[in-house]
Amino acid sequence: MCMDSDAKNTGISRRLFLKGSILTPLALALGSAAISAVYLRPAQARGFYLRPPGAIEEARFLAACVKCGKCAQACPYKSIVMAGGEAGVGIGTPHIVPRENPCYLCPDLPCVKACPSGALDKQLTEVEKVRMGTAVIVDREGCLSIRGLRCEVCYRQCPLIDKAITIENRHNIRTGEHTIMEPVIHKDKCVGCGICEKVCVREKPVIAVQQRVTEQKDFYEF
Amino acid sequence: MELTRRDFLKASAAAAAFAAAGAQALAPRLASAADDKGIKWGKAPCRYCGVGCCVLVGVKDGRIVATKGDPAGPVNKGLNCIKGYFLSKALYGKDRLTHPLIRKGNKMVKASWDEALNLIASKYKEAIARSGPDSVAIYGSGQWTVFEGYTAVKLFKGGIGTNNVEPNARLCMASAVVGFMNTFGSDEPMGCYDDLDLGDTYILWGANMAEAHPVLFSRLIDNKLKNKKVKIIDIATRRTRTTQMADEYIPMHPQGDLAALNAIAHVILRDKLYDESFVKQHVTFKRGTENQPYGLKDKENPKEEPKPLTFDEYKQLMKQFTPEWAEKLSGIPAKKIEHLAQLYTDKSRKVNSLWTMGVNQHVRGVWVNNLIYNLHLLTGKICKPGENPLSLTGQPSACGTAREVGTFAHRLPADMVVMNEAHRKKTAEIWGIDPKKISPKVGLHTMEMYRAIDRGELKCLWIQCTNPFQSIPNLSRYRKAAQARKAFIVVSDIYPTRSTEVADVILPSASWVEKEGVFGNTERRTQHWFKMIEPPGEAKEDTWQLIEFAKRLGHGNLFPYSQKNFHKEMWEEYRKFTIGTGKDLAPYETYHKVRGLRWPVKSNGQETRWRYTDADDPYVKKGEGVKFYKAPGNKATIWFRPYEPPAESPNSEYPFWYCTGRLLEHWHTATMTGRVPELKRAMPGATLEMHPEDAARLGIKNRDKVKVSSRRGSVVLTAEINGRGKPEKGNVFTTFFDETKLINDLCIDAFDPLSKEPDFKKCAVKVEKA
Amino acid sequence: MNFKRWGIARCAVQLLMIALLASPLAGLAIFTGNLAAAELLGLPLADPLAFLQALLGGRVFVLSYLLSALLVVGFYFLLGGRTFCGWVCPVGLVTELADRLRRKLGTGTQTLPLTLNRWSLALVLLVVMATGVPLFELLSPIGIISRAIVFAALLPLLLVAAILLMELLVARRVWCRSLCPLGGFYSLLAAFSPLRIGFVAEQCTHCNDCLKVCPVEEVLQPSLELNHPQVVAGDCTRCMACLDACPAKALKISIGYQPVSRDVTDPLKGGR
Repeated sequence: MCMDSDAKNTGISRRLFLKGSILTPLALALGSAAISAVYLRPAQARGFYLRPPGAIEEARFLAACVKCGKCAQACPYKSIVMAGGEAGVGIGTPHIVPRENPCYLCPDLPCVKACPSGALDKQLTEVEKVRMGTAVIVDREGCLSIRGLRCEVCYRQCPLIDKAITIENRHNIRTGEHTIMEPVIHKDKCVGCGICEKVCVREKPVIAVQQRVTEQKDFYEF
Repeated sequence: MELTRRDFLKASAAAAAFAAAGAQALAPRLASAADDKGIKWGKAPCRYCGVGCCVLVGVKDGRIVATKGDPAGPVNKGLNCIKGYFLSKALYGKDRLTHPLIRKGNKMVKASWDEALNLIASKYKEAIARSGPDSVAIYGSGQWTVFEGYTAVKLFKGGIGTNNVEPNARLCMASAVVGFMNTFGSDEPMGCYDDLDLGDTYILWGANMAEAHPVLFSRLIDNKLKNKKVKIIDIATRRTRTTQMADEYIPMHPQGDLAALNAIAHVILRDKLYDESFVKQHVTFKRGTENQPYGLKDKENPKEEPKPLTFDEYKQLMKQFTPEWAEKLSGIPAKKIEHLAQLYTDKSRKVNSLWTMGVNQHVRGVWVNNLIYNLHLLTGKICKPGENPLSLTGQPSACGTAREVGTFAHRLPADMVVMNEAHRKKTAEIWGIDPKKISPKVGLHTMEMYRAIDRGELKCLWIQCTNPFQSIPNLSRYRKAAQARKAFIVVSDIYPTRSTEVADVILPSASWVEKEGVFGNTERRTQHWFKMIEPPGEAKEDTWQLIEFAKRLGHGNLFPYSQKNFHKEMWEEYRKFTIGTGKDLAPYETYHKVRGLRWPVKSNGQETRWRYTDADDPYVKKGEGVKFYKAPGNKATIWFRPYEPPAESPNSEYPFWYCTGRLLEHWHTATMTGRVPELKRAMPGATLEMHPEDAARLGIKNRDKVKVSSRRGSVVLTAEINGRGKPEKGNVFTTFFDETKLINDLCIDAFDPLSKEPDFKKCAVKVEKA
Repeated sequence: MNFKRWGIARCAVQLLMIALLASPLAGLAIFTGNLAAAELLGLPLADPLAFLQALLGGRVFVLSYLLSALLVVGFYFLLGGRTFCGWVCPVGLVTELADRLRRKLGTGTQTLPLTLNRWSLALVLLVVMATGVPLFELLSPIGIISRAIVFAALLPLLLVAAILLMELLVARRVWCRSLCPLGGFYSLLAAFSPLRIGFVAEQCTHCNDCLKVCPVEEVLQPSLELNHPQVVAGDCTRCMACLDACPAKALKISIGYQPVSRDVTDPLKGGR
C-alpha cells in the first residue's frame, strides 16, 4: 500500500519512465545549450577586463578565481566589481572599471591579502610592481594636451607621476610661441590603475587602460 | 591681405568651432559637431586667471553653446587651459542663483528686487545715520568688471562718503601694488608678456607658474625650447610641475626670500657688479621703518616713515647680508646665492624675475617686492624688451578693476590716493561733486573690515563677486561673527557659496558675458566684451544692483548715464582719470575691435609694451632713455629692507610649515569650476601634500586621512605623497578650492604692515593620522 | 501539525547564512566573502570543491586556502557531509521553497537518480583539469545567489530561475538531488560521518510520513525497510524533516557507527 503510493512518486511506471527519459534529458540538454551560449564564451569576448592588482595570467586567473568576492569587499573605494553574465567564462570574476572607480593603489594591497586562492598573487607587496594593464592614449587627436592646450590632468593625477607618465615638450608650430606638453606613458612603470582614465576631462577618455603591452627590446641606446 | 586673413580666421574659427563644439556634444543643448550654423561668436577675455587669455564665445538661442580659444588673441593664440576650455559650462550649474533671497531666521526666503534693495538701503541708511558712513562697507573683487568697480568706488567714496571699499585683491596683489607704488610711483609692470618670448633668464620666486598661469608657462617653456641659452630657475619651498620643467630648482626655507634677495644684492655690491651709471641716473635710496607689527592685533595701523640714504650708506648697511648669513636663514647654500648673483649680473643675459603669491602673501611681501626690484635697478636690467621684473597677477581684473579703478580703502582711480588733497580734488572734478564729499580718512582694509564686524563696529557689508567666508585667514573668527549676525551682510554672487550661507540678503548676479564688461590682465591689457546672453532668472549685473541701491540712498545722481550708452558713458568718464598719467586708456570703441590694448595707449591708438623707456612709452621723449616719470625726481627707489621673521614659525608642538595655494584644475574657491563636472571629476577634493620622509615618520601613507591643526583650527584631508607637489621636509601644502574643507581656517591673519595683505603661506601646524 | 523544531532550527541557520553573506552591506566586519571562500570572525573558510578547481585549473596553490578547505571538510565530515546542503546552502533554501509550491501544484513529479551527482562531480573535475575552465564555479547557483545578495549582480539569477522552473515543472529538486557536484562531493564524504539519523524499528508505526517529507526518500526508504539502526546514506542531508514528521519518535539523532546486523531474519535487527 505504501509501496504503491511511493511507486507513483518515484516514476516507476513505464509511460512515466519513458516520458522521464525523454522529457527530462531534453530539458536538460536545452538548458545546457542555453547556458553555454550565454556563459561559455571567452571572458574577453567583450573586451579587456582590468583585473585587480596581483592577478595572475588571465587563463589561469579564470580558474583560480573562486568568485568569492572578498577582494571586492576588501577594496575601500568599491573599485572592484564583479562581472556579470556578459563576461562569459568570467562571470562573477572581479574587475575594475576605471572610468567609474579606478584602483587607488592602497599601499597594503588589501585586495591581494583578501584573495584566498592565489588568483591575486600574494607575492605582490609593492604597489609600484602592480601590472594590471597599461595606459594608452587611444585618441591623440582628441587629447587637449597634444592639441596644445594646458591640460595634462592624467599626468598630474598619476600616482606614479614622472615615472609612469612624463611630459614631453615640443614647440607648438601653429602658434609659434607656446609649448605642446604631451603626456607620454612608460609601460615599464605604468601599473594600469586607471586613475588617468578616470580624470581625463574629455567626454570619452582619450587615455585608457588596456591589456599590458610587453616590451620589445633591441640594442639601440635611445 | 585683409581678405585672406579674414578668410583664414573664419576657416580656423569654423574648424575650431567644429572641434570645440563637438566636444560639448552631449551636454544639454550644447552644439554638436555638425551644428555650427546659427552660432554667433563674440570675443571676451577668459573669466579666470590673470593671464587674460582671449576666447571666443559661441551663442545660440540665447545660450552659450561653445567656447574656444581665440586664435587672434595675442596672449594665447587660440589656446586655453582646461578651466578656459570649459567656460561654457561654468555659468550653467544647476543651482545658479536666480532670485533675491532674504534671511528669515534660519531660512532664506525668496524676495523681489524691490524688497531686497529696499531692505539693504534701509539697513545702510540706518547704520550711516546712527554710526556714520564709516560703519558701512563694500567688499568687491579683482573679478569685478571695470564698471562694477567704478560704480562701487564712486558710490561709496563719492556718495556715501566712506573709504570702506576693498577688493579681494587685497589678499592677492596688495603687496605688489605697494611695491610698485613705493618703488616706481605707479602701479603695474613696466614689462609685458613679450618679455617671456625675448628674454633668456627667468628667475621664479615662489611662483608655480605651471599651474597658476598655465598658458603663460606654455609660452615661457617654448622660449626655452627654441633657445638653448634660456635658463629657468625655480626658487620655492615646494617642488611643483614648474620645478619639473625648470633648469634649476633651489629649495628655500619659508621667509628665506628676504635673506636670499638681500644676499644677492650684497654680492652685487661687494663685487661692484652693479650698473653704476644706471644707479646714478635713475635710482634713489631709502630706508623704511622696521620692526613693524604683524597685524595680529585689531586696529594696528603701522606707518612707513622713510629715510633717505646715500648709495654709500646703503652699501654700508648691506654689508651684513653675506651669502653665509643668508644660507642660515634661507637654507640656500652660499654658493648658490653667488650663482644667482652671477646670473642677475651676467651682461650677456636678459634676466627676468617672476613672482606671484609666494612673494605677495607674505608678512613682509612689500619688502620682497622691493628687494626684487632692487636687483633689477642695481643691474639696470629693467624696462628693456626681454629683461624686466614681472609681477604676475592672480585674478582676471585685479589690475584692470581693483588697482586701476582704485577699489581700495586708500585709493582713487589711476594711482591716486584719498589722503592726497589734490587727488581728491581731481576725482571730485571728474565726478562732478564737492571734493569735501570724499573722505581723506583711509578706510578699513580687508582684514580690519571683518574684524570690525566681529567687534560690532561695522554694521553693513556688501560682498560682491568673491567668497571671503571660505578664503580669508583665521576663518572661524570671522565666520562665527557673521553667523552671530553681528552685521548686516549682503552677498551678490552667481551660486550658493560659503559666503552666501552667512548672508542676510543674497542677490543673484550676472556673470561674465551676461553683462557688458572690461577686464585688465597682468600685462596691462585692457579687454572688452559685449553682453552676449541674458542672465538667468532675475539675476542682474552688480552695476545695476549698486545703482539701484544708490538711488535709494539718494545718490542716483552720481550715475547719470543713459540706458542705451551706459557702459560707454561710464567708460569715457573713467577714462578721464587716466589721460596724461601714463596709464592712458583708449576710447571705448577702440576696445570693441581689438583683442585688448596695453596701456598707456598712445594718441595714435597704439599700445605700449614697455613703460618708462623712450623705446615705447609715449611719456618718455626720445633720447631720455629710461625715465621713471611717475616717481619723485624721476628716480625709482631702492629700499633697504632687512630680514624679519614670519609671524608664526613651527615649534615642537606645531612642527610643520603650512602653505596654501592653488592648482590648475580649479579656480580659487571653485564656485564656478566646481560646477563643471569634468573639472570636479579631475580634481574632486583637496589633499595635504607632505614630504615622503615626514609622512613615513608619522606612519602616513598616500591617501590616508590626516588631521592637520594649527592654533586656530583644524581640518581632515586626504594625504597626497609623491604627487604633483612635493613640499620640502618640514612643510605641508594644501589648496583652498574645496568648499567642504575650510583650510584657510588654519591660516594666521597676520599681514604685511604696509600692504595689509595676509600671509597665506606660513604658519605652524601639526599633522596626525585621522 | 507538530511543532517542527528541527525545521525551524534549520530555517534559522539558513537565514543566518544569508544574513552573514549580506552583513558587509550593513557595515559589519564579521563575515566577508561567500560560500566559495569566506572569513568568519577572522577564521578563513573555503569550499573544498572551489579549492580543487582553483588548484587544478589555475595551477595555484596557497597553503592557507588548503587549510581552510580542510577545516570545512573536517567540519562537514563530523556533521554529516550533506549537512551543508540541508542547513547552510542558500540554493537549498530557495529550492525547498520552490518545492513547497510544487507540491501544491502537484507538478514536476519526475526524479533523476541521486548517483548522478557523483558523475557531475567527476565531470567538473575532469573539465577543469583538461581545459582549465572551472565549470562549477561558473555555473554554480550557490555563487550566483551569494553574489546577487552581496553585489546585487542580478542578471545571472536567470540561471537559478531556469533551475527552479525545471524543478517546478519537470523534475523535483533535481539540482540538489542529482546535479550539484558539490552535493556529490559532500555525499562521498558523508558516507563515513559519525552524525546520522537513527531508526528505532520498534517504535515505527509505518505511517510513511517521514518518507513523504524526505527529499532523498530513496535513501531513507531502504534503511527503514531493512530496519537499519541508522541511515548511513551519503545523500542524507540531516535535515531532520523525518524527525519532525514522525509521530512515534521512531527516528532520532544517532552519533557513532552502528553495525548493520547480518541477520536478515530478525525484524528487530534489520531482518524481515
